[in-house]
Amino acid sequence: MKPFSSWKFLVVVLLTGLLLNGCGFKDIDKRFFVVSIGVDLAKNSPKKYLVSLKFAVPSSSKDKPTAFMIVSEKADSMSEAVRIIKTKVDKEIDFSHAKVIVYGDEVVKENGNSGINYWFVRRRDIQSIAWVAIGKPSALKVLKVQPKSEYIPSNALFLALGRDGSESPYIISEYLFDFKYRLIERGFDPLLPIIKAKKDLFEINTVGLFNKSKLKLTLNPEETKILNFLRNREEKSANKITKGKTTIVIATHKVKTKYKIYTPKGEPPYIKVNVSLEGSVEEATRLVPNDKLSDYERATEKSLSKEIENVLSKIQKANVDPIGFGLRYRSRHFNNDDWEEWKRIYPLIKFKVKTKVQIEDTGIIE
Amino acid sequence: MNRYFLYLVLLNMIVNVIIFVPKILIDYRYEGAVMGVIIAIPIGVALNYVYCMAINKFPSQGMPEILATSKHRLFKIIHFYSIQLIWFAAGLITLVGFIDILARFVNPEMPKLALLVIYLAAIFLIIQMPTQRVMYFLEIVLFLNIPLIGFIIFQALTNKFLSWDSMLEVGTHIFASPSLKSIAAATYCFSGYANLIIFNRVIKGKLKIWNFITILFLGIFNLFTTFFIPIGFHGSDGAQQYLYPWISTADSLRLTYSPIERVIFLFLMFYMSITLISISVHWHVSFELIKATFKGKFSKKKNWIVIATYTVCSVAAVIYLNTVLLNKITVYWLVFHLGFEILVVAVFFIWARRQTV
Repeated sequence: MKPFSSWKFLVVVLLTGLLLNGCGFKDIDKRFFVVSIGVDLAKNSPKKYLVSLKFAVPSSSKDKPTAFMIVSEKADSMSEAVRIIKTKVDKEIDFSHAKVIVYGDEVVKENGNSGINYWFVRRRDIQSIAWVAIGKPSALKVLKVQPKSEYIPSNALFLALGRDGSESPYIISEYLFDFKYRLIERGFDPLLPIIKAKKDLFEINTVGLFNKSKLKLTLNPEETKILNFLRNREEKSANKITKGKTTIVIATHKVKTKYKIYTPKGEPPYIKVNVSLEGSVEEATRLVPNDKLSDYERATEKSLSKEIENVLSKIQKANVDPIGFGLRYRSRHFNNDDWEEWKRIYPLIKFKVKTKVQIEDTGIIE
Repeated sequence: MNRYFLYLVLLNMIVNVIIFVPKILIDYRYEGAVMGVIIAIPIGVALNYVYCMAINKFPSQGMPEILATSKHRLFKIIHFYSIQLIWFAAGLITLVGFIDILARFVNPEMPKLALLVIYLAAIFLIIQMPTQRVMYFLEIVLFLNIPLIGFIIFQALTNKFLSWDSMLEVGTHIFASPSLKSIAAATYCFSGYANLIIFNRVIKGKLKIWNFITILFLGIFNLFTTFFIPIGFHGSDGAQQYLYPWISTADSLRLTYSPIERVIFLFLMFYMSITLISISVHWHVSFELIKATFKGKFSKKKNWIVIATYTVCSVAAVIYLNTVLLNKITVYWLVFHLGFEILVVAVFFIWARRQTV
């Protein structure tokens, strides 16, 4: 038996022609690429949501920045809105480049958005690595901002959230798959960055903390930075410390956090948090002599410990858990009711924060 | 170490990362999957060892050659038919499952049957080749794909979003009594050795103990990645919601500086060839066994009848099995497969012992 008879080979060659159909029978010029999606509450309407899609409009010349187009629709569900938006545009809507999902400030303060959250995850064509964020004052306003430095629609957001462009300890970015993971995992609550739309730019330096269904707490920029330290996600930051009349700023290049949950019998439970920082002095209002550095280290440790403790107890009071203490507790206990136990423990728990600061140098001058 | 033998086992392990095994294990993660996996590892390695020791007595011979002189013709036919049906079903389930994945993630507008035709054309070309050449083909495919898949697994393991706490949380359910379904699913990863029934033709000499030690470690690593990495990404409570946990995990990885940012497409691309060769290996075994059941020469007409039957079965399967039904059937099929596998290994082992005495 000959494995390759000639006509069989011909059939195979002809069949491979079927593979050459480009983008699933529809050419790229008949597709309209969504770059970001916004969800707001609809105003003055019986419908619940206002869904906006931002499309990239390709231009023929390379000189001017690419234009965009925003189409909005009021509807009670995402799929309904998308079906109606389809009738408003001339091309096939393609979600495969939708990389930012913005929830309006009012949407996240309400219960009952799980239908929308799940729509994004359920659709096969929306990337799991799309970023999710809260838009202030509304998602639509955020989509409308077009920074001057931007050449591709929404690229400024991609760069800021993806840390490819600017890196900052104040930005906490969140992927769609991780958002969904936190929505379900007991003992690990969601958090989303808040994007404030200014006239020609964005401001992303605060974070909103969720329980399983809605926004509970908003942190200010400094607290956001501390939260980033605690999540072990950011190493570069600037910390201002005042000691006596001198104010110095320490630029860190290494931040490491470890925590452990203790539940001694007969005593209140506590969490030991160890934070270690390494950095150098970047700015000082007065001369800082090198032999006095250890004094400044002590002062920094003291003030940072206090700050961290404040943030932790603020988060605890809102009864949310963005760092995952609950999951840590569950993963270290073999009994099946560990989650119920943790729900009783968490409101009572104390935080014992220990900070270790090491100032390595004072820059290139003393 | 015999590399051809390792390829066969490794192929089965790699293919099972994407299709059904992770889904089944994750479904039972609180109800005994952890213990199931731990029990499945010794079972899998033991089956490997026993079967290989038995077939080692007939170097460079496949089952048709070994049984050629046997006088129990009826026994031979039952033996061959049952095994080849199981092997055909194994290939078919992989095929239908992967076509579903392709239709879902790569090209939803293309009819499934068109995808099937492309696959079948390639598969039929491969399965009619001599065993030696199928083996070479397998070697090339693994050689090209394993480093890249290894890179993706490395990326997943070092990802910041991989939550070790979630994995440990599932680990704390280790004492739940093991479920049969999870044992069956986890043992299936090891069952690539059974392709030796035909592929023993290309294996010269005896298999040393090192082969089995390697399989033990590969198996542990493979089951760990299959089972725990999706849990690390999608949560101990949330991972079971995904239909294809590993595809969604690949979608959760981001390679910032690669030509394609989304890993899912790279992942599917590598798996297209891996799945193709896996189905071909299974069906090659099935095809060779069916050849051996016919008396006399295997004519061209018979050859076409067999191919036509394969085509009809796969077209029917693609048309009638939707994803949910396929998942349900696969679970029972895996349990059946485990029982059948143990039976075949035991029967063959006893028979082989008697042969030499």
